[in-house]
Amino acid sequence: MTPTPRRLLLLAAAAVAGMPRGAHAQQVDIARATAFIQQTGEQLVSAINATGQSVAQRRDRVAQILRQAVDVEGVGRFILGRWWRQATPDQQQEYLKLFEQVLIHNLSSRFGEYQGVRFSLGRTQARTEEDALVNTVVERPGNPAFGLDWRVSEVSGQPKVVDVIAEGTSLRLTTRSEYSSVITRNGGQVAALLNAMRNQIRQMAAREGA
Amino acid sequence: MRPTRLPMALALGAALALGACATRPDPADPEAVAEFEQNNDPIEPWNRAMYFVNDGLDTLVIRPAAEAYRIFLPPELRTGIRNALGNLRSPVIFVNDVLQGEPHRAAATAGRFLLNTTLGVGGFFDVATDLGLPGHGEDFGQTLGRWGVREGPYLFLPILGPSNPRDLVGTGVDIATNPLTWVTGGADYDAFTYSRTGLTGLDTREGLIEPLDALRQQSLDPYAALRSAYRQRRNAEINNTAEVSPAARGMGFGAGTGIEGPRR
Repeated sequence: MTPTPRRLLLLAAAAVAGMPRGAHAQQVDIARATAFIQQTGEQLVSAINATGQSVAQRRDRVAQILRQAVDVEGVGRFILGRWWRQATPDQQQEYLKLFEQVLIHNLSSRFGEYQGVRFSLGRTQARTEEDALVNTVVERPGNPAFGLDWRVSEVSGQPKVVDVIAEGTSLRLTTRSEYSSVITRNGGQVAALLNAMRNQIRQMAAREGA
Repeated sequence: MRPTRLPMALALGAALALGACATRPDPADPEAVAEFEQNNDPIEPWNRAMYFVNDGLDTLVIRPAAEAYRIFLPPELRTGIRNALGNLRSPVIFVNDVLQGEPHRAAATAGRFLLNTTLGVGGFFDVATDLGLPGHGEDFGQTLGRWGVREGPYLFLPILGPSNPRDLVGTGVDIATNPLTWVTGGADYDAFTYSRTGLTGLDTREGLIEPLDALRQQSLDPYAALRSAYRQRRNAEINNTAEVSPAARGMGFGAGTGIEGPRR
């Protein structure tokens, strides 16, 4: 097997993921995290408000921005939590692939409805040694503003989003609870979760095709 | 109930409760035990049954009613109703601000009540927010939380939604502290109370149409996702880190969905 760049990337990611979290964690620079969220937020807002583009085009652009900004692997591993070690390497690979599709789809379909959206930065606080929490306020015409917080971590020298917290509810904590429940209720089988995710992706595709 | 029936009822209740208990994980697996304790849902099978009942009720009756409410009432009128319901909750919010030792927030609530009741024509217009005095919600469940009372095991109740013993007690106390509960005034007043309760339910559910649809569509286990979201949201509310307009939580039940709906 020739090591294609993609395979190398996966290997490197697996190696990083295999290390204990925190062992190589860099202190995230708050100014950098804030600038990163400012930039990502502006990209998202201009993509969402791009007039003269179809809904599908806008959603694709939003998905592209999110794929770059979010530490999909890290988030995916955090969410699978204790079940990660119980999964076979093949299951881990498949899980990450499915998770990326589900996460990006769910996030971009939600952001896609935010026509006319504006956002502003709130105060930023460093939370732990590993990440910073950047507060933003999201406004839509005719709607009261709501708080959206971004947890930012340094992942191999790049600031990345590791969690989105809407009005106090963390996406990764909620999803972790959900996925673990699916596995526990199916006799501790990670395969059951993968099955459910595959079904979900099929349904998403069917809805979009319709 | 006649006394002879009591032992039987008790036995039946105990049997039901036992059958409804969640199985504890193997104590040799510390991570599984930690998760079980974090979920804090010892009567999960019972709660899931209630969730199922509620889901059916919601699909057949409650959500369609909320949709009709949205379709037949213009948005301006719905906003006005939402504002007015929030305004009627002000006394309860004020009491809880005081009980939590928050004089500034209490003053804000009192000021809003005065402004909105007068200039805002009985609370229909939220002039206070326009004048730079935004509202916030509080309830006795949050006050208990601030006093250090633990939430207790998770509860899911039909119609009321996610809750726990602390928030359920809070709901009862909020109803008792609401002056409107104690005013009596004949048939007209009763009609007003029923309308207020009905509108509160419709307004709350209408605001949750999109978030709950998204939850049903996107979650692999909506029950577990809602349980987690409700807890996180309540904690944020107790710490006053996530502000909610008083009307958005119009039920005044410590319950609520834990998800914020679009507010207009």
